[in-house]
Amino acid sequence: MNDRAELVDNAAAAYRALADLAETIEDEWQYVTDLTDAYLSAIEALAGTGAPLPAGAGDAVGEAIAEIGLITDPHRAIDWLSTFPHVVALALGGDVDGEPVR
Amino acid sequence: MRFQDAARDARAVVYAGIQADPLVARLAALLAAATPAERWMARAAMNGERTDAATWRRMFPALFGEEPAAELRDHAERLLGASLEVANRGEQARSSYRGAVVEELTAQLLARRGGVVKRERRVLFDGVPAEIHPYDVTVESPSRPEVYDCKWGARGINADVLNQLDDARTHAADEEIEITVALVVFDARRSAEIRLDRSSAPRDGTRLVVLENIDELGVAHP
Repeated sequence: MNDRAELVDNAAAAYRALADLAETIEDEWQYVTDLTDAYLSAIEALAGTGAPLPAGAGDAVGEAIAEIGLITDPHRAIDWLSTFPHVVALALGGDVDGEPVR
Repeated sequence: MRFQDAARDARAVVYAGIQADPLVARLAALLAAATPAERWMARAAMNGERTDAATWRRMFPALFGEEPAAELRDHAERLLGASLEVANRGEQARSSYRGAVVEELTAQLLARRGGVVKRERRVLFDGVPAEIHPYDVTVESPSRPEVYDCKWGARGINADVLNQLDDARTHAADEEIEITVALVVFDARRSAEIRLDRSSAPRDGTRLVVLENIDELGVAHP
Protein backbone atom coordinates (compact mmCIF):
# COMPACT_ATOMS: atom_id res chain seq x y z
CA MET A 1 0.00 0.00 0.00
CA ASN A 2 1.46 3.40 -0.98
CA ASP A 3 1.39 6.50 1.23
CA ARG A 4 -1.64 8.00 -0.47
CA ALA A 5 -3.62 4.77 -0.29
CA GLU A 6 -2.72 4.32 3.37
CA LEU A 7 -3.80 7.87 4.25
CA VAL A 8 -7.08 7.41 2.39
CA ASP A 9 -7.64 4.06 4.07
CA ASN A 10 -7.12 5.64 7.50
CA ALA A 11 -9.39 8.57 6.63
CA ALA A 12 -12.14 6.25 5.41
CA ALA A 13 -11.98 4.19 8.61
CA ALA A 14 -12.20 7.35 10.73
CA TYR A 15 -15.12 8.57 8.63
CA ARG A 16 -17.00 5.29 9.17
CA ALA A 17 -16.56 5.69 12.93
CA LEU A 18 -17.81 9.28 12.71
CA ALA A 19 -20.87 8.10 10.80
CA ASP A 20 -21.54 5.42 13.40
CA LEU A 21 -21.63 8.11 16.08
CA ALA A 22 -23.82 10.42 13.98
CA GLU A 23 -26.27 7.61 13.28
CA THR A 24 -27.25 7.53 16.94
CA ILE A 25 -29.45 10.57 16.28
CA GLU A 26 -32.44 8.54 15.17
CA ASP A 27 -34.30 11.44 13.52
CA GLU A 28 -31.32 12.04 11.25
CA TRP A 29 -30.56 8.44 10.37
CA GLN A 30 -31.60 8.80 6.72
CA TYR A 31 -29.64 12.01 6.21
CA VAL A 32 -26.56 10.55 7.88
CA THR A 33 -26.81 7.40 5.76
CA ASP A 34 -27.22 9.36 2.52
CA LEU A 35 -24.30 11.67 3.35
CA THR A 36 -22.08 8.78 4.34
CA ASP A 37 -22.87 6.83 1.19
CA ALA A 38 -21.95 9.83 -0.94
CA TYR A 39 -18.82 10.96 0.84
CA LEU A 40 -17.29 7.65 1.87
CA SER A 41 -16.95 6.59 -1.74
CA ALA A 42 -15.64 10.05 -2.60
CA ILE A 43 -12.96 9.77 0.08
CA GLU A 44 -11.99 6.29 -1.14
CA ALA A 45 -11.72 7.62 -4.69
CA LEU A 46 -8.96 9.98 -3.55
CA ALA A 47 -6.65 6.97 -3.40
CA GLY A 48 -6.86 6.40 -7.11
CA THR A 49 -5.51 9.67 -8.46
CA GLY A 50 -1.90 8.53 -8.42
CA ALA A 51 -0.79 12.12 -7.97
CA PRO A 52 2.16 12.77 -5.65
CA LEU A 53 1.19 13.81 -2.14
CA PRO A 54 1.33 17.56 -1.51
CA ALA A 55 3.68 18.78 1.21
CA GLY A 56 2.23 18.30 4.66
CA ALA A 57 -0.53 15.96 3.49
CA GLY A 58 0.30 13.21 5.96
CA ASP A 59 0.25 15.53 8.98
CA ALA A 60 -2.88 17.25 7.72
CA VAL A 61 -4.87 14.05 7.31
CA GLY A 62 -3.53 12.80 10.63
CA GLU A 63 -4.75 15.97 12.38
CA ALA A 64 -8.15 15.73 10.69
CA ILE A 65 -8.50 12.12 11.82
CA ALA A 66 -7.42 13.08 15.34
CA GLU A 67 -9.96 15.90 15.39
CA ILE A 68 -12.96 13.76 14.52
CA GLY A 69 -11.68 11.09 16.90
CA LEU A 70 -12.24 13.56 19.75
CA ILE A 71 -15.91 14.02 18.96
CA THR A 72 -18.32 12.42 21.41
CA ASP A 73 -21.44 14.47 20.65
CA PRO A 74 -23.41 12.89 17.77
CA HIS A 75 -24.78 16.31 16.74
CA ARG A 76 -21.22 17.56 16.33
CA ALA A 77 -20.47 14.39 14.38
CA ILE A 78 -23.19 15.30 11.87
CA ASP A 79 -21.57 18.74 11.44
CA TRP A 80 -18.34 17.00 10.47
CA LEU A 81 -19.84 14.51 7.99
CA SER A 82 -19.57 17.03 5.17
CA THR A 83 -16.58 18.94 6.58
CA PHE A 84 -14.16 16.05 7.05
CA PRO A 85 -14.19 14.85 3.41
CA HIS A 86 -13.39 18.37 2.22
CA VAL A 87 -10.54 18.76 4.71
CA VAL A 88 -9.08 15.46 3.50
CA ALA A 89 -9.55 16.43 -0.14
CA LEU A 90 -7.78 19.75 0.45
CA ALA A 91 -4.88 17.96 2.11
CA LEU A 92 -4.52 15.33 -0.62
CA GLY A 93 -5.17 17.69 -3.51
CA GLY A 94 -8.30 16.00 -4.81
CA ASP A 95 -11.98 16.74 -4.67
CA VAL A 96 -15.05 15.07 -3.21
CA ASP A 97 -17.78 17.04 -4.97
CA GLY A 98 -16.83 16.81 -8.60
CA GLU A 99 -15.08 20.15 -8.54
CA PRO A 100 -11.73 20.94 -6.94
CA VAL A 101 -11.56 23.23 -3.92
CA ARG A 102 -8.73 25.76 -4.09
CA MET B 1 -46.61 43.39 0.01
CA ARG B 2 -44.49 45.24 2.55
CA PHE B 3 -41.60 44.64 4.92
CA GLN B 4 -41.77 45.17 8.66
CA ASP B 5 -39.34 44.91 11.58
CA ALA B 6 -39.89 41.74 13.57
CA ALA B 7 -41.11 42.09 17.15
CA ARG B 8 -38.37 41.06 19.59
CA ASP B 9 -39.02 38.50 22.28
CA ALA B 10 -36.46 37.78 25.01
CA ARG B 11 -34.62 35.22 22.88
CA ALA B 12 -34.41 37.65 19.96
CA VAL B 13 -32.96 40.32 22.24
CA VAL B 14 -30.20 37.94 23.35
CA TYR B 15 -29.51 36.94 19.76
CA ALA B 16 -29.41 40.60 18.71
CA GLY B 17 -26.56 41.03 21.18
CA ILE B 18 -24.62 38.30 19.42
CA GLN B 19 -25.40 39.76 16.00
CA ALA B 20 -24.05 43.10 17.21
CA ASP B 21 -20.77 41.63 18.53
CA PRO B 22 -17.95 43.16 16.43
CA LEU B 23 -16.46 39.67 16.10
CA VAL B 24 -19.39 38.66 13.88
CA ALA B 25 -18.88 41.52 11.43
CA ARG B 26 -15.09 41.04 11.42
CA LEU B 27 -15.36 37.32 10.76
CA ALA B 28 -17.97 37.84 8.05
CA ALA B 29 -15.75 40.41 6.33
CA LEU B 30 -12.84 37.94 6.37
CA LEU B 31 -15.10 35.20 4.97
CA ALA B 32 -16.41 37.51 2.26
CA ALA B 33 -12.83 37.96 1.02
CA ALA B 34 -11.83 34.32 1.57
CA THR B 35 -10.97 31.56 -0.88
CA PRO B 36 -13.10 28.37 -0.89
CA ALA B 37 -10.33 26.54 0.96
CA GLU B 38 -10.23 29.24 3.63
CA ARG B 39 -14.00 28.96 4.07
CA TRP B 40 -13.69 25.22 4.66
CA MET B 41 -10.93 25.89 7.16
CA ALA B 42 -13.16 28.39 8.99
CA ARG B 43 -16.09 25.97 8.99
CA ALA B 44 -13.88 23.21 10.38
CA ALA B 45 -12.33 25.42 13.07
CA MET B 46 -15.71 26.77 14.17
CA ASN B 47 -16.99 23.17 14.36
CA GLY B 48 -13.83 21.92 16.03
CA GLU B 49 -12.98 20.33 19.34
CA ARG B 50 -9.48 21.79 19.60
CA THR B 51 -8.86 25.52 19.75
CA ASP B 52 -5.08 25.77 19.43
CA ALA B 53 -4.10 27.46 16.18
CA ALA B 54 -1.10 25.18 15.55
CA THR B 55 -3.38 22.16 15.11
CA TRP B 56 -5.40 23.91 12.43
CA ARG B 57 -2.32 25.21 10.66
CA ARG B 58 -1.06 21.64 10.34
CA MET B 59 -4.47 20.52 9.06
CA PHE B 60 -4.41 23.07 6.21
CA PRO B 61 -0.89 23.13 4.76
CA ALA B 62 -2.18 24.68 1.53
CA LEU B 63 -3.06 27.79 3.55
CA PHE B 64 -0.32 27.87 6.18
CA GLY B 65 2.61 26.01 4.61
CA GLU B 66 5.50 27.52 2.70
CA GLU B 67 3.74 27.47 -0.66
CA PRO B 68 1.02 30.15 -0.28
CA ALA B 69 1.91 33.80 -0.80
CA ALA B 70 2.42 35.89 2.32
CA GLU B 71 -0.78 37.82 1.64
CA LEU B 72 -2.92 34.65 1.58
CA ARG B 73 -1.16 33.26 4.64
CA ASP B 74 -1.79 36.47 6.54
CA HIS B 75 -5.47 36.48 5.58
CA ALA B 76 -5.82 32.83 6.52
CA GLU B 77 -4.19 33.56 9.89
CA ARG B 78 -6.65 36.33 10.64
CA LEU B 79 -9.57 34.15 9.56
CA LEU B 80 -8.34 31.26 11.69
CA GLY B 81 -7.91 33.55 14.69
CA ALA B 82 -11.45 34.91 14.38
CA SER B 83 -12.88 31.42 13.83
CA LEU B 84 -11.18 30.16 16.97
CA GLU B 85 -12.60 33.12 18.91
CA VAL B 86 -16.04 31.76 17.99
CA ALA B 87 -15.01 28.20 18.87
CA ASN B 88 -13.84 29.45 22.26
CA ARG B 89 -17.23 30.91 23.11
CA GLY B 90 -18.49 27.55 24.36
CA GLU B 91 -20.87 25.07 22.82
CA GLN B 92 -24.17 26.93 23.18
CA ALA B 93 -22.87 30.36 22.26
CA ARG B 94 -20.83 29.13 19.30
CA SER B 95 -23.94 27.75 17.65
CA SER B 96 -25.61 31.17 17.81
CA TYR B 97 -22.42 32.89 16.65
CA ARG B 98 -22.10 30.58 13.63
CA GLY B 99 -25.65 31.38 12.56
CA ALA B 100 -25.07 35.09 13.03
CA VAL B 101 -21.86 34.90 10.98
CA VAL B 102 -23.64 33.28 8.01
CA GLU B 103 -26.34 35.95 8.14
CA GLU B 104 -23.78 38.75 8.32
CA LEU B 105 -21.73 37.21 5.49
CA THR B 106 -24.88 37.05 3.37
CA ALA B 107 -25.71 40.68 4.15
CA GLN B 108 -22.16 41.86 3.38
CA LEU B 109 -22.05 40.04 0.05
CA LEU B 110 -25.49 41.35 -0.95
CA ALA B 111 -24.42 44.88 0.01
CA ARG B 112 -21.76 44.75 -2.70
CA ARG B 113 -24.59 45.26 -5.18
CA GLY B 114 -25.87 48.37 -3.40
CA GLY B 115 -29.52 48.62 -2.41
CA VAL B 116 -31.25 48.34 0.92
CA VAL B 117 -30.12 45.23 2.83
CA LYS B 118 -31.91 44.63 6.13
CA ARG B 119 -32.03 42.01 8.87
CA GLU B 120 -34.76 40.21 10.80
CA ARG B 121 -37.66 41.47 8.72
CA ARG B 122 -41.11 40.04 8.19
CA VAL B 123 -42.96 40.24 4.92
CA LEU B 124 -46.65 41.11 5.03
CA PHE B 125 -49.10 40.30 2.25
CA ASP B 126 -52.67 41.51 1.82
CA GLY B 127 -55.14 39.15 3.46
CA VAL B 128 -52.47 36.66 4.55
CA PRO B 129 -51.65 36.01 8.23
CA ALA B 130 -48.09 37.12 8.97
CA GLU B 131 -45.40 34.47 9.35
CA ILE B 132 -44.07 34.15 12.89
CA HIS B 133 -40.42 33.91 11.91
CA PRO B 134 -38.71 36.85 10.26
CA TYR B 135 -36.38 36.42 7.29
CA ASP B 136 -32.71 36.61 8.21
CA VAL B 137 -31.75 39.00 5.42
CA THR B 138 -33.83 41.00 2.96
CA VAL B 139 -33.09 43.22 -0.01
CA GLU B 140 -35.99 45.64 -0.12
CA SER B 141 -36.01 46.72 -3.72
CA PRO B 142 -39.44 47.86 -4.91
CA SER B 143 -38.87 46.32 -8.33
CA ARG B 144 -37.32 43.00 -7.29
CA PRO B 145 -37.35 42.27 -3.55
CA GLU B 146 -35.31 39.40 -2.14
CA VAL B 147 -35.62 37.35 1.04
CA TYR B 148 -32.95 35.04 2.46
CA ASP B 149 -32.92 32.38 5.12
CA CYS B 150 -29.43 31.43 6.31
CA LYS B 151 -28.15 28.15 7.72
CA TRP B 152 -24.79 27.13 9.09
CA GLY B 153 -25.15 23.59 7.75
CA ALA B 154 -27.35 21.57 5.45
CA ARG B 155 -28.89 19.87 8.45
CA GLY B 156 -30.68 23.15 9.20
CA ILE B 157 -32.78 22.78 6.05
CA ASN B 158 -36.27 21.64 6.98
CA ALA B 159 -39.82 21.70 5.66
CA ASP B 160 -40.80 24.78 7.69
CA VAL B 161 -38.03 26.85 6.14
CA LEU B 162 -38.79 25.66 2.61
CA ASN B 163 -42.53 26.22 3.04
CA GLN B 164 -42.06 29.73 4.38
CA LEU B 165 -39.80 30.70 1.49
CA ASP B 166 -42.17 29.21 -1.07
CA ASP B 167 -45.17 30.86 0.57
CA ALA B 168 -43.46 34.25 0.25
CA ARG B 169 -42.88 33.60 -3.43
CA THR B 170 -46.46 32.54 -4.17
CA HIS B 171 -48.07 35.31 -2.11
CA ALA B 172 -45.88 37.88 -3.86
CA ALA B 173 -46.90 36.39 -7.21
CA ASP B 174 -50.55 36.82 -6.17
CA GLU B 175 -49.76 40.54 -5.88
CA GLU B 176 -47.91 40.38 -9.23
CA ILE B 177 -44.56 40.96 -7.55
CA GLU B 178 -41.56 38.89 -8.56
CA ILE B 179 -39.59 38.14 -5.43
CA THR B 180 -36.33 36.20 -5.13
CA VAL B 181 -36.44 33.66 -2.31
CA ALA B 182 -33.21 31.94 -1.37
CA LEU B 183 -31.67 29.62 1.14
CA VAL B 184 -28.03 30.32 2.03
CA VAL B 185 -26.23 27.30 3.47
CA PHE B 186 -22.60 27.52 4.66
CA ASP B 187 -22.02 23.96 3.55
CA ALA B 188 -21.31 21.94 0.40
CA ARG B 189 -23.85 21.83 -2.41
CA ARG B 190 -23.76 18.07 -2.26
CA SER B 191 -24.77 18.04 1.42
CA ALA B 192 -27.58 20.51 0.81
CA GLU B 193 -28.91 18.59 -2.17
CA ILE B 194 -28.82 15.32 -0.25
CA ARG B 195 -30.87 17.03 2.46
CA LEU B 196 -33.29 18.52 -0.07
CA ASP B 197 -33.73 15.26 -1.95
CA ARG B 198 -35.48 13.72 1.06
CA SER B 199 -37.83 16.67 1.56
CA SER B 200 -41.28 16.82 0.01
CA ALA B 201 -41.61 20.57 0.69
CA PRO B 202 -41.72 22.83 -2.38
CA ARG B 203 -38.33 24.16 -3.46
CA ASP B 204 -38.38 24.60 -7.22
CA GLY B 205 -38.75 28.37 -6.88
CA THR B 206 -36.16 28.69 -4.11
CA ARG B 207 -32.60 29.58 -5.03
CA LEU B 208 -29.95 27.52 -3.26
CA VAL B 209 -26.76 29.34 -2.28
CA VAL B 210 -23.96 27.17 -0.93
CA LEU B 211 -20.21 27.43 -0.39
CA GLU B 212 -19.55 26.75 -4.05
CA ASN B 213 -21.56 29.74 -5.30
CA ILE B 214 -21.87 32.07 -2.32
CA ASP B 215 -19.87 34.81 -4.03
CA GLU B 216 -22.72 35.13 -6.56
CA LEU B 217 -24.69 36.92 -3.85
CA GLY B 218 -22.54 39.95 -4.55
CA VAL B 219 -23.36 39.95 -8.25
CA ALA B 220 -26.68 41.19 -9.60
CA HIS B 221 -28.65 38.32 -11.12
CA PRO B 222 -30.78 38.63 -14.25
